Amino acid sequence: MKIRTHEYMDIAREQLKEPNARAVLDFFPVILSAMRDAVYQSFEDPQAAIQACRDIRANAVARLPKLLEQFEEQAVRAGAKVVWAEDSAQANAYIVDLAQKLGARHAAKGKSMVTEETGLNQALEDVGIAAYETDLGEFIAQLLERPPFHIVGPALNVPTAEIRDIFLEKGVMEAPTEDPVELGRAARKYLRDRFHFLDIGVTGVNMAVAETGTIINVENEGNIRMCKSSPKVQVSIMTLEKVLPTMEEALMVLRNLPRSATGQLISAYVSMDTGPKKADEADGPEELHIIILDNGRSKVYADPAYRQALQCIRCGACLNFCPIYRKVGGYSYGWAYSGPMGQVLSPMLLGLDKTKDLYHSCTLCKHCQSVCPGGVEHPKILLTHRARNREKNPQFHGAGAPSSLEARYRAFALAASRPKVWNVMIRGARTALNQKKQGGMVKELFGKPEGWFASRDLPPMGRPTFNQWIKEYKKH
Amino acid sequence: MLEGNRDKILNRLKKAPQDYPPGQPCSVFMPDENMDREQMVEKFKTLLEAQTGVLHRVKDKDQALEALAGVLKEEGVAQALASTDQAVADLDLPAWGKGKGVEITTHKDYSSRDDFKKAAFETVQAGITGADYGFSETGTLCLLASEDMPRLLSLAPIIHIAVLPLDRLKPTYEHMVREVFNGGAPPSQTIFITGPSMTADIQATPFKGMHGPQKLFVILRES
Repeated sequence: MKIRTHEYMDIAREQLKEPNARAVLDFFPVILSAMRDAVYQSFEDPQAAIQACRDIRANAVARLPKLLEQFEEQAVRAGAKVVWAEDSAQANAYIVDLAQKLGARHAAKGKSMVTEETGLNQALEDVGIAAYETDLGEFIAQLLERPPFHIVGPALNVPTAEIRDIFLEKGVMEAPTEDPVELGRAARKYLRDRFHFLDIGVTGVNMAVAETGTIINVENEGNIRMCKSSPKVQVSIMTLEKVLPTMEEALMVLRNLPRSATGQLISAYVSMDTGPKKADEADGPEELHIIILDNGRSKVYADPAYRQALQCIRCGACLNFCPIYRKVGGYSYGWAYSGPMGQVLSPMLLGLDKTKDLYHSCTLCKHCQSVCPGGVEHPKILLTHRARNREKNPQFHGAGAPSSLEARYRAFALAASRPKVWNVMIRGARTALNQKKQGGMVKELFGKPEGWFASRDLPPMGRPTFNQWIKEYKKH
Repeated sequence: MLEGNRDKILNRLKKAPQDYPPGQPCSVFMPDENMDREQMVEKFKTLLEAQTGVLHRVKDKDQALEALAGVLKEEGVAQALASTDQAVADLDLPAWGKGKGVEITTHKDYSSRDDFKKAAFETVQAGITGADYGFSETGTLCLLASEDMPRLLSLAPIIHIAVLPLDRLKPTYEHMVREVFNGGAPPSQTIFITGPSMTADIQATPFKGMHGPQKLFVILRES
């Protein structure tokens, strides 16, 4: 996937005018967030259930290296092959090599954010192996060559007419229809043979359990189960923070994940693999490969201010509650991860210099943090991003502020720390500002309504000033 | 090509400043634990039906077969694949099917993996399996993959019929974990099924039967 995080403002401006994005964003996140709140009421104490999930994730991240070692040991004992990859290129090369050795005609992928991050489809296609996204939304997004619009609904914004056209163009169906259910049926029929004659199935991992070496996938469609049942080789790729100590803790996180993601008590399917199939089983993979991917996470882990970002469980609740996401939609964030979790994560993985608008595009309302079952404090991390960018942080490629901005702040600091200068300046500013008053409000300063004035007015400054007033007051 | 990565990555993680873990997570009480059997059945039924699943509660083997015959007839099933796990073994489905005009095979009737997959993907209209657990907490079935429980039976055919013994209905997931994951070798795959396969990816229009079954029937058997 082409990384377009630096085009945030341009894409956001387009999306604000895009009628399909508007139609979806005006109702979908609102409904999802309401469903989430409602379904949490099934707990006797909803806040305690969220807190339990946060504590479990925080504990797991604190003990990460030990848990990873234990997970590897147990997974290997159960018969899985565990490999470690430093970056996307290594992970992709491993899968490509495996597919080539098998002589695979095609590969099928369950919905997985991490393979979006690594760009696996492209790597497979580069060597002539067709890679099929099999989650309906991802399948449509793949045909249209677009990033996910929403983490749980990657193609929610695409109108049915557009899906009809791309399905006809790519030979997914023959007879045109705009009925969502019929379109879904066409995709089912098209992908069914790809599942049936599948040599290698690729999935992500929602949770990995250290105590038992188990990997867990959560889904509604059954495509991930297909990728884990039909082919003889299964590759599951996990970023290194996915590990949890025990099954009990994994199930507590599981109770939070669909509730937060889709407002469901539980998703239709949860499949938990402990090793490959046993010799006498009729289906399931003969080989289970688990790739543990770093791709910048160990650097994030080593940083005390950033570490908590690894507690994210990828539910997407923060998107639904974010006032910015609700306006600009998923495309604006320019990569696999959108919304507050994208604003937190993308700068860490891609560099502060390439993602500047992401971490500035936040009102610091903290709604994301208040609903996060991972216990991530998004606004705090975004403020750290801003500060580190200005300080030209070398680890995360801070670019520094533009020199004109630095100069303005230096002048401001100079004035603000000298009361006499400040008072003179304020008096001057008041005269200048109040001259611009139109209809009781100041609507622009330099001829055009720019900057602050693009979306706001200023009230005129009061007369007398506070200093004059207090002098008068003390006389009485 | 990936040799050496493991130690490099783990060393970086171990060298990172160590944080004191926060206190142990609080445990969350699930009120389901206090339910009696009838309350569990009621909740299981409600949640299953909310996902368009259908529950048939039966007393014994004869009634189970009667309910099964009804479902097969209503859905026009001519061919089905059955598992051979404990919950359905005594029903002797292949022999019973002959009398009902339904061709019921098991994976053991196929000489190769490819033949079995062809049957599951192309031939049969229904998969009939037992269920190792039911959870009233979320109206969920739990199937443990094994020699007698192939994964595709509950996934590839358009209809899935599961026979759940009443004493396997538990209030919460933890009951399964205690029995299956503590000690011994866990099954290669543990599957939770809550309603038929579903999606709402096009214009948020929900429908069942995306890649897996479109219909789910549960026969809850008392003995």
